Amino acid sequence: MAAPHSHNFNLPPGFRFYPTDEELVVHFLHRKAALLPCHPDVIPDLNLFTYDPWELDGKALGEGNRWYFYSRKIEGRVTDNGFWNPLGRDDPVLSTATSEVVGMKKYFLFHLQDADAGPLKTNWIMHEFRLADAAAAVATSSSSSRRRGRPKRDYSKWVLCRVYERDEEKEEEEDGAELSCLDEVFLTLDDLDEISLPNRIQ
Amino acid sequence: MPKMSISVNGQSQVPPGFRFHPTEEELLQYYLRKKVSFDKIDLDVIRDVDLNKLEPWDIQEKCKIGTTPQNDWYFFSHKDKKYPTGTRTNRATAAGFWKATGRDKVIYSNCRRIGMRKTLVFYKGRAPHGQKSDWIMHEYRLDENSTSESNNMMKATSVVVIGDGGQEEGWVVCRIFKKKNHHKTLDSPMSTTTNDTTSSLLLDSCNDGALDQIIHYMGRTCKEIIEEDQEDEDGMGMGMGAGRLLHPIDTSSVVINGSGSYLDGRFSKLPSLESPNSTSTHNCYQPINNHLGPADPMIVSGYQLDSSSVVSSAPHNWAAFDRLVASQLNGQVEVSNMIYYSDQLPTTTTLRATTSFSSKSSSSSYNAVVAAPTAPQDYNNVDTELWSFARLSSTDPLCHVSDTTI
Repeated sequence: MAAPHSHNFNLPPGFRFYPTDEELVVHFLHRKAALLPCHPDVIPDLNLFTYDPWELDGKALGEGNRWYFYSRKIEGRVTDNGFWNPLGRDDPVLSTATSEVVGMKKYFLFHLQDADAGPLKTNWIMHEFRLADAAAAVATSSSSSRRRGRPKRDYSKWVLCRVYERDEEKEEEEDGAELSCLDEVFLTLDDLDEISLPNRIQ
Repeated sequence: MPKMSISVNGQSQVPPGFRFHPTEEELLQYYLRKKVSFDKIDLDVIRDVDLNKLEPWDIQEKCKIGTTPQNDWYFFSHKDKKYPTGTRTNRATAAGFWKATGRDKVIYSNCRRIGMRKTLVFYKGRAPHGQKSDWIMHEYRLDENSTSESNNMMKATSVVVIGDGGQEEGWVVCRIFKKKNHHKTLDSPMSTTTNDTTSSLLLDSCNDGALDQIIHYMGRTCKEIIEEDQEDEDGMGMGMGAGRLLHPIDTSSVVINGSGSYLDGRFSKLPSLESPNSTSTHNCYQPINNHLGPADPMIVSGYQLDSSSVVSSAPHNWAAFDRLVASQLNGQVEVSNMIYYSDQLPTTTTLRATTSFSSKSSSSSYNAVVAAPTAPQDYNNVDTELWSFARLSSTDPLCHVSDTTI
C-alpha cells in the first residue's frame, strides 16, 4: 500500500488533515459503516490491525505525528510487541449542530510486553471512535454485554483509530492554538503590572 | 459577513477533515514572503485585515475559511506606525487594544533564522485600565535582512524582488485564537476531552524545560536585557541610566514588557472608554503591606509607575523621564536595607524584602516593599511566586540576596 499522506492532496501549503472528533465520526466512520463512498477517501482500512504503533507509518494515513485508519472493533488489541490497554471511561462525541451523541471515543495506551519486566507503558496513545448507533445496536442484540462494551467480534462493526505518540516537547509547537507555558507566565506577570498601577506616590 | 470561498481542484470547499493549520515556517516562508513581494498566492486563504478597525471577534467572522469549525484565524495586517518618528506600533481598536506580552520568539527554518513571533493579548477598554481578554495574537514578521537572501531561495515562485522596500511597508501575518482557560477542550483535533486517566496522562502542562527557561530568562543581567529591549521594535529606548536604576526595584515593567504599562501615554489620544474597575486586583497587595507593617508602606512598582505617570503627560519626552529618574535616584539613593529570606525553595517559598530609599534632595524616605504572598491562598499560582523570586534574585548589584538556596 502506498504511504498515504494528506499533503498529497494538492492543497496549498498549510492545509492538513486535522479532523475534529465529530468529523471523524460523521464524515468518515459513518460513511464507511454505511458503505458509502468516502470523499476524500484518504483513510485506509487496516482491517484487524495488529501493528505495533511505530509500524503504522506508511500504512495508516499520517499527518504530523498522527496516524488514522479504519479497523474492526475487536476485543483487546495485541500486537507482536505489546498490547493496547484501555484507559478510563469512554467519552461521547457530540454533534456541534444538534448536541446529539454521534459516536463514542475510547482511549488506549500502548504497553510493551516484555518477557522479563512485564508490561511497560509507552507514550503511544490511541483514540478509537465508534458509532453511537452501533452501541445501540449491540444493546438491542445482547443487552447484557453492552455495558462492558464487549460485543462479540463483529466484522460489520467499524471503528476509526487515531494513533499518536505523545511528545511533550513537540506538543506546544503542534498545537498553535495554545499558549506556551512561558507565555502563560508572562501573562501572569502582566497581571502583576496591573495590580501595581493604582499605586502612586502621593 | 461574506465567507471565503475556496476552490480546490474543482471542489467548492476544503475537503472534510482538512483545515488550514500552517506551521510557523509556512506562514513566514510561503505566505508572508509572497505577500511582501506582491506574489500571487494560490488561494486567498489569508485576508488583509486592518487591525485598528476590527475587533478580534469580527476578525473571527471575516477570516473564516470554508465552513469548517476553526480554532484560530489568520490574516495579513499592516503594521501602522502611530508616530512618524517612532518605532512603536499602535494596535488599538474601538473596543480595546492589543498589548505585547513576553518576548519575541525567533522562528527558524532549517536552522536559519527567518523571522520573529510576537505574542499579544487583547485588552478591552483603554490603558492602563484595560481588561485582559482571552484573545491572543501571534504576529509573525520576516527578518528584514533575510528578505533578499531568501528571495533567491524562492526562485521558482518569486516574481519581483521587493526587498527592503516591501519590508518597510510592514506586512505581518497574524494568527488569533482564544486562550483556553481549562487547557485543551473539545473541537480541536489535538485536544482530548477530559478523561480522568488520560487528562493527567496527556496534559501535563508545564514541563521542566519551561521552568528552566523562565529562570534563565529572569536571571539574565539587566544590562543585557535592556539592550535587547532597545533593539526590539517595541522597545522604548529607555535610557540606560533609568533602566539600570529601576531594575532592582521593578524588573517587570522595564524588562518583561516590551511595551509595558509604563506606556500609558500611548493611548492618551484615543477617546476614553468606560474602564473596568481594577481595584479587585489591587487588593491583593493590601495584606502584604499590613503584614510587613512598615510605616508609610509603598509598593515598589508604585514608585515606578509614579514615574510613568509623569511620562504619560508627555509621552514623547523620554529625556524628561530620564531626568526625572536621575534626579530622584542618581547618586542620591542608597539601598540602606534589603532583606531577603527564603524559607524554602521557590515553589512554596515565602519571600519578603524591604528596601528603603532615602532621597537626600527631597529629604523624604520611602519604604519600598517587594513581597510575594506570605499566605499561599493569596495566590494559587506558582508562577507568581516564582516571578517574585526571580525579581528579587536579579543579578543587579543593588540587590542583595542572602540565603539563596537555588
